[in-house]
Formats: sequence, structure tokens, C-alpha cells
Amino acid sequence: MTAGLVAVFFVACATVAVGVFGAAWRRDVSAAVATIPLMFAGAGIAFAGVARFAAAGGTHLLGQEFAVLLAVAAVALVALGLGIAGREGNR
Amino acid sequence: MDSLHAIGFYVSSGVLLIGALGVALLPRRGLRGAALALSGLGLAGVYYSLSAGFAGAVAFACYAGCALMVAGPQYRKVEAVAGSVWRQVGAIGAALLLAVLAFSAFRGDFVSATFKGGPFDAVALGRLLFAHDVVATEAVALLGLLAIAGGAAAWRLRERAR
Repeated sequence: MTAGLVAVFFVACATVAVGVFGAAWRRDVSAAVATIPLMFAGAGIAFAGVARFAAAGGTHLLGQEFAVLLAVAAVALVALGLGIAGREGNR
Repeated sequence: MDSLHAIGFYVSSGVLLIGALGVALLPRRGLRGAALALSGLGLAGVYYSLSAGFAGAVAFACYAGCALMVAGPQYRKVEAVAGSVWRQVGAIGAALLLAVLAFSAFRGDFVSATFKGGPFDAVALGRLLFAHDVVATEAVALLGLLAIAGGAAAWRLRERAR
């Protein structure tokens, strides 16, 4: 059994699509904001997969670091979105 | 990728996608938070099987934080202004996006590029930021996150004082 770049891309695109579906389908804005990390996770998986299977020599940290940045950005966006939604909900 | 890592990759992918579907479909915020934590666990496993253990650890911590925020008591429900027809159109668009991305993933492969970096040597700049000085780049990202959180907190305090 093995897994290649295409399998990684399939998982990434499925994760992005589930995130987009949740954001479009949810009536509650706060619940829709919770799907943002899923879209970012899909992008991060694609970056990490490209870094893992890149053919050129040397260490491939670029994709992994983009994945880390996307995870941190996902936290920031969820915090911002839920904070704004909390303000609107208190009114 | 050897068999052990491949099995770990597929199992983690399943956990990730089950958690993602839970975030998209489950009705209560506590369940959605648990599903988001589950998807973070699966994502960490995927990263680990792709030889990105550090990214997996950071992603798990970040997604656990997201799960706590989603399931926490500060959560407020806000109804969207978009009607059900537009939400259904958006869901169909998500399905079309999945089809397009799946097709491109099936046909995707590496290409041999001859890009040299342009007039300001973007290749060297990227290697500097994401390979040589990677810890500094992460520190700047963390600083940006703290600045956003601090700005939001200061904004809320000022609004409460009014």
C-alpha cells in the first residue's frame, strides 16, 4: 500500500469542498465561520503534500511552513469571526 | 511512502473527513466543537504521515483552540441574511468545486519550471523566509496573531466603556 501526490490532492480537495459546503449551507453565521479552518486545512494538506513529494533535492520546508501559517491564520479568523458574531448577537 | 505511513495517511484522512462532515452538518455547537477537534486530530495525523510532524503539532493545537472557541459559552447564534435558495446554490457550487478540484488532482503532477526568481529574486526571498529564517517567520506570524487578538480585546473594552 502506498499514497502519492494524487491521493494527497484528493484528500485536500475533499476537505476544501466540505468546508465550502458548510460555509454555504449553514444558516447560522457563527457555524459557517467554524468551517473556515477546514478550507485552510485542505490548502495546508496540498502544500505539505507538494513539499513531501517534491522531486528537487534538499529539505522542503516551504510547504510545511505554509501549512503552519495557514493553521495560525485559521485560529485568528475564527476568533475574529466569532468575536464579531458575538457582538452582533448581543445586540 | 512506505506501507505504515500510507496506512496512517489513509486512516488520518478518514478521521479528518469525518470530523469535517461533522463540523458542516451537526446541529449543536458542542458537537461541532468536538467534530472540529476530531478533524484537527486527523489533520495532525495527515501532516505527520507526510513527514511534517511540527506542522502537525501546531495544527492540532490551533484546531483544538478553534474547537474550544466554537464550543465555548461565548458562542452567539447569528442568522444569515441569505435565503435558502442562495444557500442551496452555494451547496451546488461546493459540489462543482469538488468535481473541478478532484479532476485537477487526478490530472495534477509536477512540472519542470525554469523560473529564476524575477528582478528581485523571489526564489531566494522565499527560501530565506521559509527555510533559512523559518523561526523568525513563525515569530512574526505569532506576533501578528497576538496583535489581532489584542486589538480585538482593546476594541471590545473601548466599546464597553461607552
